[in-house]
Order: sequence, then C-alpha cells, then structure tokens
Amino acid sequence: MRSIVDFAADDVILDRAAILCSQGIPEEAELTENFERIYGEAISLFQQLAASKGITAGISISHFEEVFRGEGLNEPENPVEEIYGESSHLALFAVTLGPVLSEKVTELFDNGDYASGYMLDSVSSFAADRLSVLIAQNLQSELAAAESGKSTLRVLSYSPGYCGWHISGQRKLFEVLCPQEIGITLNESCLMSPIKSVSGVLIAGHGKIHEFANSYPFCDTCRTKSCIGRMRDLK
Amino acid sequence: MELLDRISENLQNGFDETVVQLTEDAVEKQIPPEEILSDGLIVGMNIVGEKFKNHDIFLPDVLLAARAMNGAMEILKPLLIKEGIPVRGKVVIGSVKDDLHDIGKNLVAILLKGAGFEVIDLGNDVPAEKFISAAKEENAHVIGMSALLTTTMPVMKKVVDLAKDEGLFGKVKIIVGGAPVSKEYALEIGADAYSYDGANAVETVESFFPANSR
Ligand code: B12
Ligand code: SF4
Repeated sequence: MRSIVDFAADDVILDRAAILCSQGIPEEAELTENFERIYGEAISLFQQLAASKGITAGISISHFEEVFRGEGLNEPENPVEEIYGESSHLALFAVTLGPVLSEKVTELFDNGDYASGYMLDSVSSFAADRLSVLIAQNLQSELAAAESGKSTLRVLSYSPGYCGWHISGQRKLFEVLCPQEIGITLNESCLMSPIKSVSGVLIAGHGKIHEFANSYPFCDTCRTKSCIGRMRDLK
Repeated sequence: MELLDRISENLQNGFDETVVQLTEDAVEKQIPPEEILSDGLIVGMNIVGEKFKNHDIFLPDVLLAARAMNGAMEILKPLLIKEGIPVRGKVVIGSVKDDLHDIGKNLVAILLKGAGFEVIDLGNDVPAEKFISAAKEENAHVIGMSALLTTTMPVMKKVVDLAKDEGLFGKVKIIVGGAPVSKEYALEIGADAYSYDGANAVETVESFFPANSR
C-alpha cells in the first residue's frame, strides 16, 4: 500500500541537546547571548517554513531483494541484508522538509547572515533525519494496532549510502517508490532535491532482528556510528 | 579605550555594524590601513580563533566575527591595494559538478576570507573545467573543492588531472573537503591537502604560505 503523510510543524521535536551535539557542542557548554538569539530565530524560522512530507509503499521481501541489489555495488556483507529477510513487513520510504528551508539558508548566506544560515541549516538537517524516525514510528503504530498491539514489534529505517548499502541503490528505490509525487527528485549523481530529504526502507520485525555487531570492514571509517544509538533505543 | 582595541573587542562580540563604523573612523583618523588590519581586526580574529579552539565559543560566534571582519575588509581592501600591500593569497572554491550542497563550502570560504584570504566562490555544481579556467583567470594560489557524496567526488580527480595537463600543478595548490572525502582520497587523486572542517582548512591553506603567515 502507498501512502503520503503531511507532517505538522510541531510533529518534529527539535531536541536542543541533540541539535547542539550535532554541532559538536557539549550539553554543559555555556553559550553566548548571540548564540542563544540565533538559535531561537532558527527554531522559529524552521517552524514557519518547514513543509514536511513523507511517502511510503509496502514491498514484499522478494521485490525488495531486487531493489536492494540495485546496481550490484553493495558491500558483500552488510547489516541490511542480514535484517530484511527476518522482517514481518517492509516499506520503501522517502521524506523531505521541502525546498523553502534550504532556499532560506541560501538567502541568509547571500545576505551575509552566515551564523543564522548555518544554524537554520543545522536545525533542518536534524529535522530531516528525525522525519525518517517519525515515519518509522507511524508505521510501527499502524502495524502494532493491526496486530493487536504486539509490543515486541520495532520499525527502523535503513538508507542507501549507509552501512554497506551503496548510494546508487537510490535509483532502483526511486523507480519503485516514485517520490517525485511529494516533490523529491534524484540527479545523476544520486543527490536528492530538495537537499533536506532522506530515502530508504522501513524494516518491521521483532526488536532483536535490528541488533548486530558493528564490525563490518566499512565500520572502521564510519563517522556517524549511528547504529549504536539506534540499538540502544531498541531496549 | 584606543580605537583599534575597540575594533578588536567589537569584532570579538560580532557587532559588525560597529566594527565597520570604527574602521571608517580609523581610516578618517589616518591610521594606516595595514595597522587597522593587523592591530585591530586580526588581533580580534586571533582571539576569536583561540576561544573557538578552547570551546569557549562556537561556530555561530565565529561566523558573526567573520561577517564583521568581511565588512571592515570591504573598506580596507582598496586602500591596501593602493598602497601595494599584497593580499594574503587567492583561493578559488566551489562544490563540484552535480553537487548542490554548499553549506560546508560556504563555511570554508567565509572563514578563509575572515583570515584575510581573497576568495572567489564559484558556487555549486561547478564543472572541472570551470575550476581550472577560474584559477587561471584569477591567478589563484589555491583551488578548493567540496563534495557531499562519494558519487560526486570523481570530479575532484578530474580537476587534479586537468591542472596537471594545463601546467598548473605545483603552481596552484589543490585542497579538498566535504563529508565523504578523506585524507587518503586526497592522496590517492594527487591533491595537495584535505581538511576535515573550516578551522582546519584555514590552518592548512595558511601552511601553503609560510612566509606570508601571521
Ligand atoms: C546532516 C547529514 C544529512 C542531512 C542533511 C545533509 C545536508 N548536507 O544538508 C540529511 C539528513 C538530509 C542527509 C541526507 C542524506 N545523507 Co547525509 N549526512 C549528514 C552528515 C551527518 C553531516 C553532513 C553535514 O551537513 N555536515 C555539516 C556541514 C556544515 O559540514 P560539511 O558539509 O561536511 O562541511 C564541512 C567539512 O566537510 C569541510 N569541508 C566541506 N567542504 C570543503 C571544501 C574544502 C576545500 C575544504 C578544505 C573543507 C571542506 O569543512 C566544512 C565546514 O566545517 C553526514 C556525515 C558526516 N558526519 O559528515 C552524512 C552523509 C553526508 N550523508 C550521507 C548519505 C548517504 C545521505 C543520504 C543519501 C541518505 C539517504 N539515502 O537518504 C541523503 C542524501 C541527501 C540528498 N539530498 O541527496 C553519507 C554520504 C556517503 C556517500 N556515499 O556519499 C554521509 C557521509 C554519512 C555516511 N554514510 O557516512 N544527510
Ligand atoms: S558503525 Fe557505521 S557503518 Fe557500521 S553498522 Fe554502525 S552505522 Fe553502519
């Protein structure tokens, strides 16, 4: 089944500590008045300008196998391949904050408001990432309701470009999902427009299927190590 | 407080309009432009840099100071040129072909300007040939390239190869950066350097000009 979601501005909880952490700022840091002002302005600009949308389409394991194979460039061993076979439900997804926020960031930079542009970009990046969590939570609630509230069911998102799933995998994903319907396009180099967009697959199943050892060869150079937090949150 | 100290102090606090006003006052008072630059603006910028390194302030504070610095430089640049004082170095920078993400590149450009370099920003989606032609036209000392995804990184190699073909290699330093880029990749394609963030980019570009460094 295919569905489109319009997120409200306050659906995305702008977790201040997490946003500051993404800028390399520790929670206990003392911030200047200027910083606080710029941060406050960025949050209210975000709330005014975000036009967040998402699209999902359920997909069978066998069909996803083909999508996942993509152009044959994935790492030979990777977590997604280990996980999706164990899933009870799969859905392709794409989410976006829309183009206006990035246009505003560019405008701020062009006007010399570098600090405000940087802050709005950072808040938007955080929010785009959160949208993929939100769309996974939506599916989790739907599936749990349908399966009379199974508490062990967990839905997590996985994206091309991460964890051994090659970024070129987005081409096949776009062919099947068609997120153009919510305004997301893919260029030849696999860059999505609007820039604040995320694509991938939602994998539903028992929480345990999402647990793995992050000791793949490519983990050595991974800068995000985002699997650690995701697995911690499963508990 | 002396005028140049006030310039430095206001710059540290990111009060760009005041810095521009005080710079105009200093010029009017016949303070030599290189003195306004070195004893006012650069003193302030160095303190900002130190505080940033010590995590007493963060990037938005640095960017406010950089905006103030750039505003003051608009006034001083023509005067410095008139007096024959050489610019610190010229950098041509851009995000490579097909790459529409430019925040990282913008930050590097702003911080380089703040450190006194002349920066020609080619924007994003810049073809390899454009980096080379701009570097030639502008007599640039450095080419800087940014990429967000591994899929756009190959353009960086194309620029390095073109620079070799066009006899720029060795004359123009090439520095690369962006989320998926690494030191190893820079070495592999024959670029001169890689930087992981804006502050490191400034230090690295400064190291290209040892005699010129402050
Ligand atoms: C935030 C983020 C996002 C945000 C926003 C992205 C954006 N740029 O606007 C969101 C959540 C939307 C996102 C989406 C995606 N992302 Co992302 N994202 C990141 C993350 C965590 C930070 C990037 C960032 O914005 N940093 C802040 C800016 C200011 O920094 P910067 O651009 O890196 O620039 C600094 C330095 O790199 C350097 N620098 C930059 N340019 C230059 C130039 C020169 C000359 C020099 C010297 C230095 C220099 O200095 C700058 C200032 O400090 C990186 C991982 C990481 N830790 O870097 C992944 C990362 C870039 N993303 C990645 C991927 C795969 C994606 C997606 C394809 C995932 C998907 N399938 O949906 C999409 C693609 C989006 C699109 N439009 O096509 C991969 C790319 C891997 C690859 N193979 O190319 C990365 C590297 C994560 C990973 N797997 O390790 N992403
Ligand atoms: S360490 Fe990085 S690459 Fe490895 S599984 Fe975790 S998030 Fe993926």
